[in-house]
Amino acid sequence: MDFNPGMKHQLIRKTVRDFAENEIRHRAAEMDKGPGFPQDLMEKMKPLHYFGLQTPTHLGGAGLDTISYTIVVEEISRVSAALGLCITVHNSVGIYPILRFGTREQQQQFVPPMAAGDSIGAFCLTEANAGSDAGGVETVARKTDNGFILNGTKIFVTNGGICGTILVFAVSDTAPAQSSVFIVENHTPGFSVGEIEDLCGMRANPVASLFFEDCRIPADHCLGKPGQGLKIGLAALDTGRIGVAAQALGIAQAAFEESLAYAKARQQFNQPISRFQTIQNYLADMALQIDASRLLVHRAAALKDKGQPFSAQAAMAKLHGSTTARKVTNLAVQIHGGYGYSKEYDVERYFRDAKVTEIYEGTNEIQRMVIARDLLTRPV
Amino acid sequence: MLHIIVCIKQVPMVSELPWDPRTGTLKRETAQGMMDPAARRALEAALQIKADRTSGPVSITAVSMGPPMAEEVLFEARALGADQGVLLTDPCMAGADTCMTAVILGKFIKNHCPDAGLILCGSMSSDSETAQVGPQLAEDLDIPAIGYARRLELVDGCIRVERHVDDFLELMEMDLPGLVTIDHAGESDRYTPRYVALGGVEAAFNKGGIQVMNSRALGLDHAFNALKHSPTKIMDVYSPVTEKKGRVLTGAVKKMVDTLFDDYGKIVSSAMGKDLKTHDHEEDV
Amino acid sequence: MEKQIWVWADYRNYFQSRVTLQILARATDLAKKTDAVVCAVVFGDRVDEYVAEYIAHGAQKVYVTDDPLLNTYNVESYAFLLSALVRRFQPETLLVGATRFGQEIAPRVAKQLNTGLTADCIDLDIDDKGRLVQIAPSFGGNLIAKIITPHTRPQMATIRPGTFQELPHDDDAKGKIIPISLPDHMPGPRVRCLKSELHPVRARKIETADIVITGGRGMGSKGKFKKLFDLAALLHAEVGATRPVVYADWVSTEALVGQAGKHIRPKVLFSFGVSGAIQHTAALADAKFIVAVNKNPNATMMKLADVALVADANQACSGIIRALKQRIRD
Repeated sequence: MDFNPGMKHQLIRKTVRDFAENEIRHRAAEMDKGPGFPQDLMEKMKPLHYFGLQTPTHLGGAGLDTISYTIVVEEISRVSAALGLCITVHNSVGIYPILRFGTREQQQQFVPPMAAGDSIGAFCLTEANAGSDAGGVETVARKTDNGFILNGTKIFVTNGGICGTILVFAVSDTAPAQSSVFIVENHTPGFSVGEIEDLCGMRANPVASLFFEDCRIPADHCLGKPGQGLKIGLAALDTGRIGVAAQALGIAQAAFEESLAYAKARQQFNQPISRFQTIQNYLADMALQIDASRLLVHRAAALKDKGQPFSAQAAMAKLHGSTTARKVTNLAVQIHGGYGYSKEYDVERYFRDAKVTEIYEGTNEIQRMVIARDLLTRPV
Repeated sequence: MLHIIVCIKQVPMVSELPWDPRTGTLKRETAQGMMDPAARRALEAALQIKADRTSGPVSITAVSMGPPMAEEVLFEARALGADQGVLLTDPCMAGADTCMTAVILGKFIKNHCPDAGLILCGSMSSDSETAQVGPQLAEDLDIPAIGYARRLELVDGCIRVERHVDDFLELMEMDLPGLVTIDHAGESDRYTPRYVALGGVEAAFNKGGIQVMNSRALGLDHAFNALKHSPTKIMDVYSPVTEKKGRVLTGAVKKMVDTLFDDYGKIVSSAMGKDLKTHDHEEDV
Repeated sequence: MEKQIWVWADYRNYFQSRVTLQILARATDLAKKTDAVVCAVVFGDRVDEYVAEYIAHGAQKVYVTDDPLLNTYNVESYAFLLSALVRRFQPETLLVGATRFGQEIAPRVAKQLNTGLTADCIDLDIDDKGRLVQIAPSFGGNLIAKIITPHTRPQMATIRPGTFQELPHDDDAKGKIIPISLPDHMPGPRVRCLKSELHPVRARKIETADIVITGGRGMGSKGKFKKLFDLAALLHAEVGATRPVVYADWVSTEALVGQAGKHIRPKVLFSFGVSGAIQHTAALADAKFIVAVNKNPNATMMKLADVALVADANQACSGIIRALKQRIRD
């Protein structure tokens, strides 16, 4: 067992860090002020394959393995969690289901513009009455002669304000127990974007409600088979959880680095506060939890790369990673004292950004369910 | 086909340098490596020549002399678009000064790249900052060389180079084969290095390993020892004391500024070459 | 045979570049310690004026090749001539100014002579065995190396301009001029110079400016950063910036002071709102007197400063501008 990253993964990390430090870091605080990402930044990211991380090269992507993917998400999130969120949602729950369940024609049609970054992906499951309980979906797809007519409202859609290709969960009007997934393009008549949510963190990401009013969807825009919605959803979320775990890891790492530097520089009682045992304990706990999170993320990613079941391991990585992000950013604010509560210091942003990682892509309560179910159904 | 050789050095990443806080020295062996920024500009120049249709077919070989971990910068060079990467590594190459480095690189080019048309180097590396390997390699190969290029252009089988040297703007020309060093501090954005695309990294590793050559494969004498044969010897390396016991001023800005000019105005005025009133500022208001 | 210390004379752009005179001064000190003769080596076309100047600044002997064929600086021809002269007269030491041209010719000569060369020295000394100790920085001044050339001669070094103080001009100084004619078998230069014109670029000035003002993110915004230029106008200073500021597009890339940008060595450095990341501080190790302003007294930059003002960078900048306007005598 080798715990050292190989040269490829090391180079991936350096590559992304170089870009993130030079192109993103200085704008992250400004981006946090309003929804949306600077267009010139997005343009720079496009040819570097940030929008086609695991998309095969023949569809215009980078063809990365999953460990590389987690490193990219971690490093982007280390400077801007909101942009990391955009990247991870676009790649994992936006493109991945089409690659896994789509027909060759669907892949050829939808994936290249997405991988090029010209069409940003979104994933719509959550509704006013359907969150953790996916069975509560009320968006309806009515079958017609040559397709479907979609009606409903989705909320809290990540990338909602900038999405181009949208995966929509809807139930059949004739068999409401069966959900299906439809690929909807943003120029479809009847589609519209609601107001951008005013959220606590991840403020650069234009999270929004999406409205579907009599949207006519061609029959061949149904992903997988009609009725496969749950299966697709669960597969997408398993993958998405690895991404969220990596994102939480990046936030925690950033908060830790700031705290370590601050603790060494900040003088109280004529010495750096890093000399105090309490601060040392905080730093040790932060480092420990971050290390454990990274190992869990990489294990889940490695299992996925090997084609082995990884659902419970992804849940563990997400659960531990997001909890760590929340705890570490909390300690980071504490170490910074009053400054940490001020927008002048980045830890304030990390603190706000971290919380939601415990909520989306399956709340941490749901993660525990997934883990427990795996434990209880395992053959003895 | 134009065969371009780009010489690439791996240098320690300054931001990651592990300093020993007690002794104030650098633990260089544990520092993370990165591609020397000037070498990156040289590679960028090669990639631009390759992308230019008027150049005809171009093949780029990236070569580095260094420890085994320097393989990484060659993978990176491949990720950026170099066709081949070759690492020259051997314990007997350690400790080479610029002269011996030129001998080793020269051996590789003479014995293994007889078709080399253009050799590109960064003008100066960010760690040892000597600017010597390029000119000495040209000398070793007995080919013409032009330093500090800011822009190069292939014209009828020769290379034309624009450079800025000691306040002179120059246009030089030479036949190939020749060696050009790319200005490490170019003010034009022409050779600002591109970012590495992620697909490039993946592809660089899918292409297989980097060709590694030891001193025997290179054709160096079996008694070759770079440290012993280097004409210069390092006696001592130390880090200068940088932290000063400076004076710290606090309080109202006006008071601090007055103290600054009252007590140190002479230093400022002598640097300006202009007199400054030092005291009695209140009366002047 | 007498011991000689040679200084290769770089007179191009004479009024700007005083490096040859500076090295002559140091060579005079070293010559006293080793009982050697200080010699200048001059190549060019109609160089009498320079030869006289070098004698007035300490050269005891001057080897001169004065020929119309040498009317342009050419690395190959000059390196060929210099190597040939060294083989003939065998000096102990050969010093060259670390101008860009000097840094091109010196390595080639060293390689032709199979001798050692140390780049961009910031000091020279003689050890107890009479050897030249070449003191050179690396990592932008974060490390200093002491280097010797134990077995081969000459001991060669290039010297950073501005390192030594030139000797006062002495009209009465006597020096011996040794004319050397151009050899018959000069190889034709393989590099052709199509154009060479004096073209001082403004952006380079920050590297040689006596006063530099650097600004970091602590200046607050692009608009507020502009205030540094007002201060620069008052102080006849150049403005530099940290990486975040350049990337935020508050100022052009040319102003970047750091590992990947310009290295500066001003007599006085004013630093506003700079935290002091090592990539930045690596490039200002040679600043003589540093005034730093930062809200955080523990910022690295504040610890490097001779005078540290704990204040908002932007307010302090305004305060200094006001004070200067009152204090500068007309």
